[in-house]
Amino acid sequence: MKIAVAQIAPKLGDVEANVGLHLDILEKARKQRAGLVVFPELSLTGYTLKDLAEEVALDPAADPRFRRLVARTKGLSAVVGFVEESPSDPGLLYNAAAFIADGRIVHIHRKVFLPTAGIFEEAKFFAQGRDFRAFDAPCGRTGLLVCRDFLQFGSSYVHYAAGAGVIICVSAAPGRGVGDGDTFETARMWELMGEAVSFFATAYVVYANRAGSEDGVTFAGGSFVYAPGGRLVARAAAVDPDLLCCALDPAAVARARKAWLFKRDEKPEAVWRSLERIVRASED
Amino acid sequence: MPPKINPAFVEKVLVRFIRDEFARCGCGRGLLGLSGGLDSAVCAALAARALGPDAVLGLIMPYGRAFPGDVRDAVALARRLDIRAETIDIAPQVDLYFASRPEADRGRRGNKMARERMAILYDHSAREAGLVLGTSNKTELLLGYGTIYGDMACAINPMGDLYKTQVRELAAHLGIPAAIRRKAPTAGLWPGQTDEGDIGLAYEEIDDILCRLVEGRGSRREIIEAGHASAAVDLVLRRVRSSQFKRALPPIAKLSTRSVGHDFLYPYDRER
Repeated sequence: MKIAVAQIAPKLGDVEANVGLHLDILEKARKQRAGLVVFPELSLTGYTLKDLAEEVALDPAADPRFRRLVARTKGLSAVVGFVEESPSDPGLLYNAAAFIADGRIVHIHRKVFLPTAGIFEEAKFFAQGRDFRAFDAPCGRTGLLVCRDFLQFGSSYVHYAAGAGVIICVSAAPGRGVGDGDTFETARMWELMGEAVSFFATAYVVYANRAGSEDGVTFAGGSFVYAPGGRLVARAAAVDPDLLCCALDPAAVARARKAWLFKRDEKPEAVWRSLERIVRASED
Repeated sequence: MPPKINPAFVEKVLVRFIRDEFARCGCGRGLLGLSGGLDSAVCAALAARALGPDAVLGLIMPYGRAFPGDVRDAVALARRLDIRAETIDIAPQVDLYFASRPEADRGRRGNKMARERMAILYDHSAREAGLVLGTSNKTELLLGYGTIYGDMACAINPMGDLYKTQVRELAAHLGIPAAIRRKAPTAGLWPGQTDEGDIGLAYEEIDDILCRLVEGRGSRREIIEAGHASAAVDLVLRRVRSSQFKRALPPIAKLSTRSVGHDFLYPYDRER
């Protein structure tokens, strides 16, 4: 199966324009025979929303713009970032990502770790997600993460423990730190985690970051795909928009898990018991 | 010292920033004051690359004939970058104002000049339907070495996160002539003035102290232990603390449940 990582620069606060951009890229990816198209974090809205979050929030089940997008995924899958406000949770805004396949919403992940320090102020505007749940998709069992979720390495572990062979992280990571390299210094941090998780979880890691700039902050781009075993398959341009196309072979997960027996030998119950003890102790 | 930069990458990021901001405003033209010094030369070169030379206007605004060398360098730079340039002598309007205020010291006169230049730039910004590019670097912003609502006034600032020593690296990469790169940095408010004379420290030392303080989050004691004289560290710390008002919008007295400047929070780059 071919996947396409859409390293786009959405228009801040303009859902209508961004739906158009998504539809264009879906068609482009379809022409390249991609079976999965991954858009970045908050791809339908832009990132630096602040109070705009409530103006661009939508109910994915009912919003006509979102439904138009879902309808255009016939025959392929897509991951899309948006601000979710569902009737079941009125007034609460989530930084969310949806996995859509063949005209149907398969799964929605609400970002659990909302960075709120320095240039980040997500917890001022968003409610916290509380769950990591892997799901079955055309690309195999998949785990979805949003940006900072991926840097808290327990998140990937949960997906791995649940059997995910594909871990997808959608991101709006700003570039920070310029030295003598040819990208921002923080780009290394994401690749380091991608390489490590793909190796030790014997899983694909698909990292979709965005391009462009908002309020003076430049997003670092540099989206990538690591194959099980820590092999870099493809990397997108730094900073600039890009459409990264590469192959994703679900059989590679099984092969890697025969070569490296981390998954077979994993003991989530030991981890769980230890964590339970630690959490209990911290509550005392 | 601040890290050595890859100037080609920094150029790429800053050119993109300028393009993005101008595109958001639906604005194709930019203008800036050209002093004949390093910072405005670098900013003009970035703007010319981002917007195209024809879309950039450099305003050369000398006070009479006080600095003929700087005017020559500014004119030559504009020609080299192929940007448009206009020269406006600010002496008549400044002198008219101070004719009845003979007691004004050179500080007041200097600030007035910076604000006259700002007012001229903004008038031209309306004439050109263009945006004013700021040329303050990170060192100046942190020290508060600039005139509030004068040379610090701008629509966007591409250079405010580069220390002066990093601006020099970028200038060499952008092909800024040596005549401009080698001259002593000056605010140009009176003859013989230099930044380093005003501040009392060399830029290399200032930038090292600032970088240890800001990026390094170092304490006063740690910066002194790294080899800086305590007087130099204190001077920098004092300037940084006392100039915070120049780096923030003025506080608005809060009364309502949702107030401008407090909790009515929208991105600057909201689609217009």
